[in-house]
Amino acid sequence: MQAQEPRTLCTTCGAPLGAAIDCFATLGWPRRLAIDRAALERTYHELGRRMHPDRFVAAAPALRDASLRGTARLTQAYRTLGDPVSRGLYWLELHGRKLADNNKEVSPALAEMVFAVQEQLDDLRTVRSVARGGEAETPAGAAETAAIEAEMRTEVEERREELRGAIDAAGRELEANFADWDKAAAESPDGPHEAGGASAPGADARFAELKAILSKIAYLRTLIRDIDRALETAQAA
Amino acid sequence: MRAARDSPGNSPRPQLKLSELEFNGIGILMSRIFGIDLGTTNSLIAVSDGGQPRVIADPASGAALLPSVVALAPDGATYVGDEAIALEPQLSVERDGRLSAAELPGGAQGAVIRSVKRYMGRGGAELEEADRRRYTFTEMAGGVARFKVGDRDYTPPQISAAILRALKRRAEAALGGETVDRVVITVPAYFNDGQRQATKDAGRLAGLEVVRLVNEPTAASLAYGLGAQAEGRVAVYDFGGGTFDISILNIKGGIFEVLATNGDTHLGGDDIDRAVAETLLAGLPEATRADRRVWNSARQAAEQAKQGLSTASTAELRLALPGREIVRNLTRAELEQSAAPLIDRTIACCARALADAGLKAAEIDAVVLVGGSTRMPLVGRRVSEFFGRDALCSIDPDQVVALGAAVQAGVLMGTQGDLLLLDVVPLSLGIETMGGVMERVVHRNTTIPTSVAEGFTTAVDNQTHVDIHVLQGERELAQDCRSLARFKLGPIAPQPAGLPRIEVTFLIDANGILNVTARDQRTGREHSVDVKPSYGLTDDAIEQMLEESIDLGEQDIEQRLLIAACNDADQIAAALGKQLRDYGALVEAGERDRIEEVAGRLAAARLGADRELIARLVEELNEITTPFAGRIMDGAIKQALEKKSINEVS
Repeated sequence: MQAQEPRTLCTTCGAPLGAAIDCFATLGWPRRLAIDRAALERTYHELGRRMHPDRFVAAAPALRDASLRGTARLTQAYRTLGDPVSRGLYWLELHGRKLADNNKEVSPALAEMVFAVQEQLDDLRTVRSVARGGEAETPAGAAETAAIEAEMRTEVEERREELRGAIDAAGRELEANFADWDKAAAESPDGPHEAGGASAPGADARFAELKAILSKIAYLRTLIRDIDRALETAQAA
Repeated sequence: MRAARDSPGNSPRPQLKLSELEFNGIGILMSRIFGIDLGTTNSLIAVSDGGQPRVIADPASGAALLPSVVALAPDGATYVGDEAIALEPQLSVERDGRLSAAELPGGAQGAVIRSVKRYMGRGGAELEEADRRRYTFTEMAGGVARFKVGDRDYTPPQISAAILRALKRRAEAALGGETVDRVVITVPAYFNDGQRQATKDAGRLAGLEVVRLVNEPTAASLAYGLGAQAEGRVAVYDFGGGTFDISILNIKGGIFEVLATNGDTHLGGDDIDRAVAETLLAGLPEATRADRRVWNSARQAAEQAKQGLSTASTAELRLALPGREIVRNLTRAELEQSAAPLIDRTIACCARALADAGLKAAEIDAVVLVGGSTRMPLVGRRVSEFFGRDALCSIDPDQVVALGAAVQAGVLMGTQGDLLLLDVVPLSLGIETMGGVMERVVHRNTTIPTSVAEGFTTAVDNQTHVDIHVLQGERELAQDCRSLARFKLGPIAPQPAGLPRIEVTFLIDANGILNVTARDQRTGREHSVDVKPSYGLTDDAIEQMLEESIDLGEQDIEQRLLIAACNDADQIAAALGKQLRDYGALVEAGERDRIEEVAGRLAAARLGADRELIARLVEELNEITTPFAGRIMDGAIKQALEKKSINEVS
């Protein structure tokens, strides 16, 4: 038995897709992609204060249950919309354009970066296994290996900083894409509603751009995670 | 052990008449909620009086701490705390780790169990060599670990229940007979689902309603944050007798929001004592070291020396060996050398928690030290170094968790002002997929309560059941994660493979405990979910233990169940009465009549002795009031949003 793919439910907030309850509605928030995080947090806290199970300890079971499920939905919705990346992924899912797990939309520059990082990590592993294997015949040789390993570690750490910078840049692209959506929605003849935005001219291009940015971020995050693991293993050894 | 005077089963409750009058007027007299710190080494009970928490000391001895030590006499009698410690010398160690208790009534075997918290939620298969050196366990494959004492065996929740009952008696005696039957119990933040469930089970076995489990570092932050109008990011470093937790919180406007938590539920002062004991015994022959008496003597000597070294720079150690005694000095430097690797592990946890919170050490506004093990000067130094600031320890580190539990109890009673705790789930939760891979459903450090729905279907034609294996942990392979439970969904009507659509909702409640419900997506019908906990007790097992327990044994089981059903009826009636009063505008035409009609039948049933009828009517009342509850919740949401928009404008 296995979990079925593709799911018909929102994997981020758990609501069945297309159902009346969505993350925006749960937070009483307009369907806009540019979100003031502090304002969203205030709303979330205000709702939490009134809905939380702590407030319904003496209530009848049905109300206690409604409070628990309502709060569970609320925290999920806040987490989904609070983070720009998960918000973007949710937007795709909401329109039936979920980012596939094995997406192949990788720019040549990104592909090159992936190869370069993997090569660096391979080199690090090799030199480490030499250092730990005690293959060096002289103390001087061992010291040289250790020096090379230290240098490689530094290079990998620098690479990690570079990748973090790339994620920040992608985050800014994401904000720009969100602004485009909101502008289109505001100008839509159907009124400032997401339905207008999603069907307005240029929606396909915006979806494609959103996908590309999110997929880039996913790759960059994976690379950073790989680096973290490689450096941690080095520490442990 | 004295028989408990009161437990919810037989406590005299105010007799309620379930009439329309009741529905329009008087609410139920709810008992107060108490806060309990069920610690590895010591346990405490506290209460909040007029918003001010205080620990309830033993009225006879004046002691605030109750040692978490339980002695089990051969005749089945149970002794807790100092009484248990006093009995320890009378239980002499025989071969194979058995304790002879010739001087106690019953004359066969007894045991003294310390640090039972380490065994909560543990499976028999998860016991280690060191555990077996310390205690005798029943030889059972899988299932819950059970201590073997003579012909009897005891699960860890049963031992913990003895401690809880002792705290209950202490508080009731100190408060002139006030009933203690509703409690908040604290648990290590890093406790997994099984350990949390075991703690709740212990409460139930002690005849207590566990209203909420609260994470220890979070409770401590409540005690510190109270009244101080605290705002900012706080790191709570909680190093106790047996567990370590680090929680990073953001406190703002009375909301205590946990950003990340990390820890180790088998890392505490006990481990430092052990490490020191190992070095003390290092030079001795293997046969001497394997002697349990020698080991215990070394462990106790190490513990005393450690405590002395918190203030002095050298301590004298007396080590009892067969036929002789070794006296030597231990310096603080030596102690610190033994403890350093363990403290390093706590610092590594701190680094992981910070990373998960997305913060740097410099972004933390305050660091709080909790737990007895933080009295070691080295701990304070290392923590201050890591966070780059002095750590706070102005509230007694042994009492702060219990005080925080009392504050949370006050919050739940509505007497503690406008505080709200938002905690997280410490470990990721997932399901085993094809190929033995763990697929994460809920990530660690997700705010609770939370729910996630997953779609399932069948793999072969006419499959009637779907099995789901739920895991907890951070590793990628199912076999490396901890098995939580296996759920069986069904029966499913025979259909071709892949056609049935079952939506399974994984809900983690405010206690951090998983609840699973399943619904057929086509018919909308609820599916039954058969839960088989991997290392926990089933409801039936607990019920059986309750029936066998000495406290309640004298009472007729049927009678007890009837009283419990009546209590449920009283509670739902009172709560509904209040709801109808408070939210009268949300009741739809005819709805009040329907509710009062069922309530009337329940009131009539309540006077009889048919507990199944009472239970059925409670369930019916619950069902027909569900839409009303939904409207109340919608109203609360609407009000909150309106308040927000007013604030935004002004």
